[in-house]
Amino acid sequence: MENTFVVTAVIVSNIYATMRICRRLTLTASNAKALAMQAGDSAAGFRPLTDYINRYASITTSSSAQINEMACELSRIATEKDKTDRVLNHLSKVYKNAYDSPHLSSMDVARNKIRLRQQALHDAYTQLLQSLNSELDDMSGELRSANIVVTMSRIEALQATSIHQNALNNVADNVENVTESIKELISDAQRLVIELKKQSQ
Amino acid sequence: MKTHKLFENDTHTWFMFGRDPHKPDKIIDTNQYMVVTNENALLMDPGGIELFSSMLTTIIKSVPIEKITHVFASHQDPDIISSLGLWDQVLENSTLHSPWLWEGFIRHFGMQSITYSPIPDEGERLTLDGVHLDFIPAHYLHSSGNFNVFDPTSGILMSGDIGAALESDEAPLEVDDFEAHIPKMKLFHQRWMPSNEAKLDWVRRVRELDVQMMCPQHGRIFKGENVAKFLDWFENLEVGVLNKK
Ligand SMILES: [Fe+2]
Ligand SMILES: [Fe+2]
Repeated sequence: MENTFVVTAVIVSNIYATMRICRRLTLTASNAKALAMQAGDSAAGFRPLTDYINRYASITTSSSAQINEMACELSRIATEKDKTDRVLNHLSKVYKNAYDSPHLSSMDVARNKIRLRQQALHDAYTQLLQSLNSELDDMSGELRSANIVVTMSRIEALQATSIHQNALNNVADNVENVTESIKELISDAQRLVIELKKQSQ
Repeated sequence: MKTHKLFENDTHTWFMFGRDPHKPDKIIDTNQYMVVTNENALLMDPGGIELFSSMLTTIIKSVPIEKITHVFASHQDPDIISSLGLWDQVLENSTLHSPWLWEGFIRHFGMQSITYSPIPDEGERLTLDGVHLDFIPAHYLHSSGNFNVFDPTSGILMSGDIGAALESDEAPLEVDDFEAHIPKMKLFHQRWMPSNEAKLDWVRRVRELDVQMMCPQHGRIFKGENVAKFLDWFENLEVGVLNKK
């Protein structure tokens, strides 16, 4: 099992890559809009689709930004918790080795405080991991719906005049490629989140 | 880790901690110091992360943890203060006295609960339950922002890396034969200390103090006439040199 920090860092980097790819999607959405205007009546059915692509781009962009924030926070909490784990490990050595010290009980207050903090961080970590998991699930649901847009764009392309056919297919290709890339990154992140969930149990 | 009582009167006690048989290999052996007054304690150069549990175990044999209200770090080195992030979690209402120059750096060791009290370049006095402890400038010896601690009552000078010697962790506590001790100190001072000017200035100022015992962070303690011998030797040693025998 890989180290928590390495796993969270990989999740953060996956999401960061997703955010960059989403920018391509935004560009595709505005290209599609321009194209629909140009194509006029021959692409009448394509116009509502461009709105859909636009919405899809903005949802994936904002959702990946939110996931990115959550993943960074997860890494920060993991670091804080690691600090409490470490100091408690040291303290257990102290309790073992200073058992005959007249002042050993003076450590109790600090130890209890650190234990509480460790527990609070553990809870926050588990909760955030859960939210991250469901946010990733939502995102992959969103990605599945992109397939419909791609298919419908291709159908529209068949009906359009030949000069616009290529361009419309191109939009469909772009949405498809971007979605595939994001899908891969997101399902990787989902797998890692599950790994972290198992670790924290 | 062993505890040695260096001085005791009715107002305060000096402790030295060191010669740790459980210290991991390849890390430099260090001496830590603590002054305990009626209600407070000042822990000086508490050491690295690797030493933390050993130090804490040793300290609470002498005092309850809440008594450690002050910590001193002579400079920013890891062997001095890399344990800060751990002390920060176990000490309540404690203040770290350290050179102003290093605040932004030392905080990298992790410091959320301890208060940083920056020592100005000219030094300052800390008074604990009526006991005066002076933070004396020792800049560029070796760190560019660096202080010693002098206790005018006992005549103890905690000299940090000045007077340090590289030797085994079973070495005796005090310098017995000064001449024989020189080879253990020479490289350390020549290589780590960058400034002859700073050195001469420090020697001049320390000669004016009534130093009974000079306690470095590595190696052995100098007592009585060995203090003067050290000052003479150091005064004449060319420092800031590389590969010079
Ligand atoms: Fe140093
Ligand atoms: Fe040192």
